[in-house]
Amino acid sequence: MRRTLRIYRRSLGAHLRAVLEYEADFWILVVAGLLFQVLNLIFLSAVFSHVPALNGWSFPEAVLLAGTYGFVNGLGPLFFEGTWRLAGKINHGELDYPLIRPAPVLVQVVSAGIGMHGVGDLIGGGAMIGYGLANSDIAWSPARIGGALLLLAASATILLSLIVLGNAASFWVGGNHPVFAMTLIRTGDMAKYPLSIYGVAVRATFTVLVPYAFISFFPASWLLGKESAWIGLLTPLVAVYCVYLARLIFRQGLRRYDSAGH
Amino acid sequence: MSLVEAQGLTKIFRRPEKDPGLRGSLKHLVQRRFKEFRAVDGIDLSIEAGESVAYVGPNGAGKSTTIKLLTGILVPTSGTVRVAGAEPHTDRMVNARNIGVLFGQRTQLWWDLPVRESLALLRDMYDLSPAFYKQRLERLDDVLGLADLLPVVARKLSLGQRMRADLAAALLHQPKIVYLDEPTIGLDISVKDRVRQFLRELRQDGTTLMLTTHDLGDIEDVCERIVIIDEGRKIFDGPLAQMKDRFARVRRMRLQLAEPTPVEKLAERLPDVEVVAGDAPTEVTVTFDRFTHTAGQIIAGVLDVVEVGELHLDEPAIEDVVRKVYAGELLRIPEPGPARDAAERSGERA
Repeated sequence: MRRTLRIYRRSLGAHLRAVLEYEADFWILVVAGLLFQVLNLIFLSAVFSHVPALNGWSFPEAVLLAGTYGFVNGLGPLFFEGTWRLAGKINHGELDYPLIRPAPVLVQVVSAGIGMHGVGDLIGGGAMIGYGLANSDIAWSPARIGGALLLLAASATILLSLIVLGNAASFWVGGNHPVFAMTLIRTGDMAKYPLSIYGVAVRATFTVLVPYAFISFFPASWLLGKESAWIGLLTPLVAVYCVYLARLIFRQGLRRYDSAGH
Repeated sequence: MSLVEAQGLTKIFRRPEKDPGLRGSLKHLVQRRFKEFRAVDGIDLSIEAGESVAYVGPNGAGKSTTIKLLTGILVPTSGTVRVAGAEPHTDRMVNARNIGVLFGQRTQLWWDLPVRESLALLRDMYDLSPAFYKQRLERLDDVLGLADLLPVVARKLSLGQRMRADLAAALLHQPKIVYLDEPTIGLDISVKDRVRQFLRELRQDGTTLMLTTHDLGDIEDVCERIVIIDEGRKIFDGPLAQMKDRFARVRRMRLQLAEPTPVEKLAERLPDVEVVAGDAPTEVTVTFDRFTHTAGQIIAGVLDVVEVGELHLDEPAIEDVVRKVYAGELLRIPEPGPARDAAERSGERA
């Protein structure tokens, strides 16, 4: 495990150094990420200029929710960007070399790139979390701080697992672009608003089928002491389940891999 | 036990069978039909440590698929593989440390990274000590001229540079066996020579080599054993010299005659033999099948007609043999000995 992490770190580090050589690129991407979060904020303010609360969620609370989602989403490009190239790699038979190297294929795939717009997401999302926390009524205690950090880590784990899972579908779907993963992750955008505004079907889907609700809604509900806040504490369990599922599907997919040409 | 042991190795690919056009594609969505395609069909192969084997066959014969099965990239449909005691597709990690692989058509270097970074990543994956890594880099630099390439990003390399860097990447961890799939494809003569020189040195160091190529120069320069496959089946496996001896049946004799002689006169005396006039009126080339005629018979025949000044017998070339295979003229391995004429005849496609 330590060896695997070291390989991951070195690979990511090498790509980071490569990206940083193009300064203009770096700034454009950071600003793009930031802009995306600002747009979220503008949308929320537009909604809240008409209503004082959204199903019991005040403006700062909704900002906290969207900020958490944005922040966690920034981790994908920064730490798992290579995953998005999996479809192309399968299509072009480019997993041949990873398969003959003594390191887990998943680690080699995941760390084969870095997306700097993630930095913008982190900054923008982080700022929104800060604003949300400062303007919400939270009874802070060491346990609450620890819990919040744990839930944030679990929520990040869920999203990264979903990215792997969605992209691993390319082993079955084929094609050069990760259409399935795009759809899966984009649908998750609904999770940046309070889940309670949706109908039962949507809520059930995002809780059980694709657990987006555990990325921001349930953890934030726990922190803010909303209705059925205890569900938020299940987030780490859901995270473990998602990791298990993602690894399983990736492995199954890898067995289907039949390179390109013959 | 041999270093590489494959028995009954078979790979069947399933391909969607679609009628042409959009209609065909839509129909396929509802009514899925697949066609099976045997890329590799029951290949037995064993390679001893230190051997260098050329794996030859026309396009689509199953060369690359065999390499992918031996390296563990593909899972065989049936049959067994063992490389240095490990089953490649199940003991992936163990196998990975024993082998080095180069696919000439594709790079293993990370596209956006300088060559130095790619090699450093491989160092980490193979757990090479800093001292060993340094020593290997120096050795590879000596033979491949790596130093200039190290700071260059992979996508900026020329094809020749890329191949040198890729060879270094495949050999960094000093693998026991190296598989090279078309290692000289697209290279100019000087780079080709350099790569071949490097492969010869590798062989001298005791590394086991298996290479697929369409370049017969690669084979003559590097390999002592040749395996020919066609349509997924092995049709020859043996020493290069034996292959020439057995298959290269066409001999060419160039004669310098004492006086100008019309070729018809010679042809009359030598039935079943091709006689062609040379540049000068005294020059003539006789092409004969060494299974039906001996060189002595030819000379005797010519001497009946005219005195011979000089003669030269061309060395058999593996080109002739391989070209026949590619053209589909050689299907079975004829056995040497008294029955070989018949075997040879029945071995040829009618």
